[in-house]
Amino acid sequence: SRPLVDNEEQSGHGEQRASPSRLPFGKKQLPPIPKTVAPITKPMSTGPPVQSTNGTHASYGPFYLEYSLLAEFTLVIKQKLPGIYVQPSYKSALMWFGVIFIRHGLYQDGVFKFTVYIPDNYPDGDCPKLVFDIPVFHPLVDPVTGELDVRRAFAKWRRNHNHIWQVLMYARTVFYKINTTDPLNPEAAVLYEKDVQLFKSKVVDSVKLCNSHLFDQPKIDDPYAISFSPWNPAVHEEAKERMFAFKRRPEDHHKGTQVSGLSWVKPGSTQPFSKDDNPPQS
Amino acid sequence: MASMVANGNRDGQSLVLKGVDPETCMIVFKNHWAQVVKILEKHDPLGAQRFGNIPGDEANAVQNYVEHMLFLLMEEESGQAGAMGPILEFVVMENVMERLFVWSLRREFTDDMKLEQLKMYEMLVGQAQQPLLHHKPILRPLMMLLSSCSSTAMPEVEAELVLLLHQLCCILAKDLSILELFFHTSEDQGSTNFLIFSLLIPFIHREGSVGQQARDALLLIMSLSAENQRVAKHIAENTYFCPVLATGLSGLYSSLPTKLDIPSEEWHCLHREDWLTVPSLVQFLNSLEFCNAVTQVAHPDIRDQLLSYIYNGFLVPVLAPALHKLTLEEVMTTTAYLDLFLRSVSEPALLQTFLSFILLHRHESVHILDTLISRINTPFQLGTVSLALFRTLIGLYCEDVMLQLVLRYLIPCNHIMLSQRRVVRERDCYSISAARILALTPSCCSPDRSPPPLRQLDSILFSKGADTPHKLSSTEETNLLSDDGSGNSCTIGSEIYLDVSYLHYLYDARRSISSCTRACQVWSALYDGEDPPPDRYEPGVLEESGLKFRQTALRKVPPSLALPPRPSVPRPAPLPTVGQLELEWDDSYDVCSVQVDTTPVENKPAPFPPAELPKHIQDMRRTATMLVKGSYIEENEFQDDVMVYNLVAKKDTTDADRMELNPGLLQSNENHPSPAEAPVQHALSLKLPPSVVADDGSNGLDSPKTKKQVDCNAIVQNAAAASAERSDDLLAQYEELLRTLDSEAGKKQVKGDGEAKKPVTPRQEEDEEDMDFTCFSAETPEAEKVSAPFGSVHKLRKSGSASRIQSVPFTGPFVSVLLSRLENMLSNSLHVNLLLTGILAQLAAYPQPLLRSFLLNTNLVFQPTVRSLYQVLATVKNQIDEQAARRKELPELITAAQHWLLARETLFMENGDYAFLFFYFSSGSSSPFDGARILKNSPPPKPKAISLDRTEVFATVLFTEFLKELAAIAQEHSILSYIPMEE
Repeated sequence: SRPLVDNEEQSGHGEQRASPSRLPFGKKQLPPIPKTVAPITKPMSTGPPVQSTNGTHASYGPFYLEYSLLAEFTLVIKQKLPGIYVQPSYKSALMWFGVIFIRHGLYQDGVFKFTVYIPDNYPDGDCPKLVFDIPVFHPLVDPVTGELDVRRAFAKWRRNHNHIWQVLMYARTVFYKINTTDPLNPEAAVLYEKDVQLFKSKVVDSVKLCNSHLFDQPKIDDPYAISFSPWNPAVHEEAKERMFAFKRRPEDHHKGTQVSGLSWVKPGSTQPFSKDDNPPQS
Repeated sequence: MASMVANGNRDGQSLVLKGVDPETCMIVFKNHWAQVVKILEKHDPLGAQRFGNIPGDEANAVQNYVEHMLFLLMEEESGQAGAMGPILEFVVMENVMERLFVWSLRREFTDDMKLEQLKMYEMLVGQAQQPLLHHKPILRPLMMLLSSCSSTAMPEVEAELVLLLHQLCCILAKDLSILELFFHTSEDQGSTNFLIFSLLIPFIHREGSVGQQARDALLLIMSLSAENQRVAKHIAENTYFCPVLATGLSGLYSSLPTKLDIPSEEWHCLHREDWLTVPSLVQFLNSLEFCNAVTQVAHPDIRDQLLSYIYNGFLVPVLAPALHKLTLEEVMTTTAYLDLFLRSVSEPALLQTFLSFILLHRHESVHILDTLISRINTPFQLGTVSLALFRTLIGLYCEDVMLQLVLRYLIPCNHIMLSQRRVVRERDCYSISAARILALTPSCCSPDRSPPPLRQLDSILFSKGADTPHKLSSTEETNLLSDDGSGNSCTIGSEIYLDVSYLHYLYDARRSISSCTRACQVWSALYDGEDPPPDRYEPGVLEESGLKFRQTALRKVPPSLALPPRPSVPRPAPLPTVGQLELEWDDSYDVCSVQVDTTPVENKPAPFPPAELPKHIQDMRRTATMLVKGSYIEENEFQDDVMVYNLVAKKDTTDADRMELNPGLLQSNENHPSPAEAPVQHALSLKLPPSVVADDGSNGLDSPKTKKQVDCNAIVQNAAAASAERSDDLLAQYEELLRTLDSEAGKKQVKGDGEAKKPVTPRQEEDEEDMDFTCFSAETPEAEKVSAPFGSVHKLRKSGSASRIQSVPFTGPFVSVLLSRLENMLSNSLHVNLLLTGILAQLAAYPQPLLRSFLLNTNLVFQPTVRSLYQVLATVKNQIDEQAARRKELPELITAAQHWLLARETLFMENGDYAFLFFYFSSGSSSPFDGARILKNSPPPKPKAISLDRTEVFATVLFTEFLKELAAIAQEHSILSYIPMEE
C-alpha cells in the first residue's frame, strides 16, 4: 500500500511522477495498446480553438490538452496550497485525485478525499468538478453525489484567468467560511442558520464518518488513487525520512549530472568576464 | 657497467638472494667494494692517469662487482624503525655512489655510459626496499648524472632519462620530504634549478611515449605545486615552464596543415577519425590536453601564468592572424581547428581563456566573435564550418557566450513593445505557440498524406481507462452512474491517431531543456526581462578584461626570463606566405618584457562600446535585411569575401589604396555581410566635414552617450585619412545605393531599415544626429553649415549606424544571420540545414525567458523591425506552398526524401548513434558532438529516387520536422520552466 500521504507533489518531485508514467515512451517504444479497446468511441475533442479547424493538425490536439493539464498541475505545485494534495490519475490526465486536511474551524481534523474532473474541452469548457468521496455535511456539498458547488465561484471558466489550483483553494475555503446561499444541501444550510449547535454536531458526525472510512480502498481503481493505511513503520518510516532528508540535502539533486554550465559574469553586471576572481570556476 | 642491470635479468639474482642472511650480504658487499676501491685508487687522478688509459679488464671487473653490489643494496630491507640497513649505511658512509660516478666520468663518458648509469639508478630508485633518496651521498651523484644528461641527443638516453625522471617524480609525489633535498642538492650544484623539473621541460611537446611520460611526470609536479608554495613559486618565477608550454602550442600550430582535405561536402568539423590521421594535429592536441591538465592541477600562480602565455603567446599572435588569412580554405581550416580546440578543452579556466579571446579580442579592431558570426553567411564550406563552431559555442551553456551572442540584445527589451514586457515571463499554458508553430506544417508534408512506414501514426491511448467502456460525455445530462460512481467523463479521446514521432520530439525536448536548465543554474541572472533590469543595461566597455590578471602574472616573471627558452624548445617555423605582418608571433612572445609594455594597448578601454559596436554589426544587420529582400546572391558574396580578405591583408597599405578598392566593394555592398567593410565606413564617416553639426554643439555634450559618440568619432577620425575629393564620389555612390535599397524595401513591403525608423520620433532623430557629430562642432566654426549632400549622408550614416542599436531594435548579428540562413532553407544543402536547425533548437532549449519568449512565444508582439523565428518559418512555409502548387511531382519526391532520411537514421542507430527522433537532426539535447557524428559518419548510399541536389525537397521534409521539434520544445518549456528546481 502507499504511504500515508504521498505529498511529493508538493516538494517539487511530484510532477516527475505524474507525467512520464502516463507517457512512458522510451526511445522508440510506445505504450502498449490494449487490444480490447474498441475503435474510436467518440469524436476526438479539439485542442485549442486556434488551430482546431485545421484538419491536418488535429492529431496534435491531445498533446495540447495533455500539456495544458500538466501546466495546470505544475501551477498547483507552485501554489503550495496548505493541507491540499492532488495527484493526476494514471488513467487520464482529466481526473485528479486529492485529499484535503482541515486543521481548524468547524471541520477541524477532517480528512476529505475527493476527485477533480476536468472537462475534455479544457480550457474552453465548464469549470472542473470536484466530488468528495463521501458527501461531507456542508451547505455547498451535494448530500447524494458529494459534489461541491464549484460553479458559484467560477460562473464562467475563463482560460488564462482561471486555474485548477483556484478550484482546490476554493474547496478549502468553504470549510473555513460557511456560505449558505443557494445551498446544495438545504438541511445543512438551514441548520447553520437556525441551530448552529446541531449543525456543529452534525459536522462532527460527518467528519467522524469520513475519517472512519479513511482506510477504505480508493473509490476509483487507479494505480495513482490516493489510499491511506495505518501507520506501519516498516513501510512509512523510511518514506518519511526520505521526505525530510530531501529538504536537508538539496545538493544531491545534482549529483551524477555531468553537464554543467559556465559563467564569469558578475551578478548585476551585463559584461562577459566581469567577475573579479578570474577564473572563478576553479 | 651494470650490463646485467641493463639486460634486466635481475629476477634470477633476486631469487638467489632471497633468504640469504643479511650479514653474509654485507660481507659480500664489503668485499666487492674493497676490490672496486683497489682499482679505483689505482687510477686516482693524482696518479695522473686520465681516462682512456684504464684497461678493459679492470673496467669489466668494476662493472661486475658493482652489479652485484647493487643487487645487494636493492634487496636490503630497512633496519629497525626505518633506520638504514647496514649496506645502505655503508654506501652512505663510504660515498660509494659518488665515487662510482666519478669513476665513470673518468672513463669516456659516452652516451652508452650515461644510458647504463641511468638504467642503474632507475632500477635502484624503483626497486629498492628502503628509501634511498633521502641520503645525499646517493642523491648527489644522481643529480650530477642527471645534469650531465641535459644536453644529450641520443634518443635512447632521452627515453631512459625521462623514464628515470618520471620515476623520481612519482617518488616525490608520494614523499614530500624528498622535495627539499632535491632543491638543496640543486643548490649544491650551484644551480637554483629544480633540476628534475627543468630536465623535463624540453620534452613537453615531444611526440610519442617519451613526451607522454614527460608530461605525466610534469603533471605530478604540477599537482605537487598546488600544495607546495615553494615549488609553485620556483616554477612560476625561475623556470621557462609556462612560456615553453604556451609557445610550444604556437610552434606546433605552425606545423599544422593550412588546408585540409575535405572528405565530403557534408564535412563541417574535425572528428576524432579526422585528426587521428594528421600526426601534427595529434601532437598539438596532446600538448593542448597537457595545458588543460596543468590548468586543472597546478598552483593558481602557475595556472594564471600559463593562461596568460597561452593568450598572449598563442591565441593573439598566432590564432587571431590565422583566422584572418587570405583564402577561404585557410580561414575555414583555422575555424575548424578552433572548433576542435574548444571541444578538446574541458578545464573552465582554460576554456575561459579561449572564450575571452573569441568574445573580447579584437583583430584589426574587429571582435573575433563578430568576424566569426559574419562568416556564417559565407557560402561553401566556410559557412558550414562556422555554423559548427557556433554549435559548439552555444553547447557550452556559457553565460558569457550567450550574453554576447544573443542576450545582450534582448536585455533592454527594445525588441518588443513596451506593453509586452510582462509577456516575456508568461507561460504558454495552453500550448498556443506549439499549435501555431505546427500549423505552419506545409500541407504537402501533412502526416495524413504520407504512406506507411513514413506515416508514423499510431493510436495512442490517452485515456487508459477506456478498457472499462462507459458512455462518454462531457455534458452534465449523461450523469449515468458508471463504475467509478460519478459518471464523470475523463477521457481525452479514447483512441486517437497521432504522429508518433512527436512523442520522441517531446522526450528529446524534455531532456534538452532539463540539462540546459540545470547547467544554467550557475548563471548570474535570470534574463527574464527584470533581471537584469532592461533600463539598467549598460552597454559597457568591452575590454579584454581577462587580460588584467594575466598582466600581473606576466610581470611576476623576472626580466631575465623574458628570453627565448632553451633551444630544445620547438620553435615555430614562420607560417607560410600570407599576412607576414600578423604572423610575427615569435617577436611578440620572445621578448616578453616588451610585451608587458605593449599589452596595455590592448588593455585600454575599447574604442567602441559594445552596444555601439558598430560597423560590422550594422553591416550584419543590413545584410540580414538584404537577405530578407531576396538579394542574397552567393557568388557575389563569395567574391566580396575574397575582396574582404584581401582588404584585411592589405590593411597596412595606404589609405589611398584602400580608397581605390572601395568602389568595387561598394557596388556589392548590398549583399555583403562582412565586417571588413568597417574600414570603408570609417572612411565614409570621416568624409563628413566637421561642419556637419556645428549648429548644435552644446547639445547633450555631457550625456554619457554623447561622450561615447565623441570617442567613437574620434577614433574614426584617427582611423581614416583619405583625400576629401575622392570621398565625395564615394559618398554619392553610397547614397545612391541606399536610396535604391530604401525604395525597394518600400515596394516589397518588407520590414526593413526603412520602417525601422518609425518608432523613433523625428525629434529624437534630430537629437541623435546632433549627438553623433558634436565632436566636430567643438573644432569647427559655425559657418560651415550642412550642405545638401552631407545632409543625405547624415541619413546614410543613420540608417546603418551602430549607435542606433539603442533606438532601433535589433536582436543581434547572430540571430540575424541564423534567421537569414534559415529563410534560405530551400536552397541550403541538407547538412547546412541540419546544423542550422540544430543550433536554433539548442537556442530554443535555453530556459531564459528573454530567449525563450523571443524564439518561441508566438503571442509576443515585436517591434516592426524585429524579425522573429516564427515570421521566418512562416516565410519558408509560404515558399514551400508556392512550390508545391507549381510542381506536381513534389509529393513523390518528398516521399523519396523521407524514405532516404529514415534509412539514414536507421543506419545511425545501427552504428550506435542513439537518436530519439524520427529524423534526428538536432544536436540539442545530446552533446554537441552527437549530431556531428551523425552527419559525419555515414553518408549512406546516395538516395536513388531523388538527387541530393534537390535541396528544396529535403529542406521541406526537414522544415516539417523542425516545426515538430520547436513545438515540442515550446510545450516542454510550458511545464519544465515553471517547476522549481530546488526548494
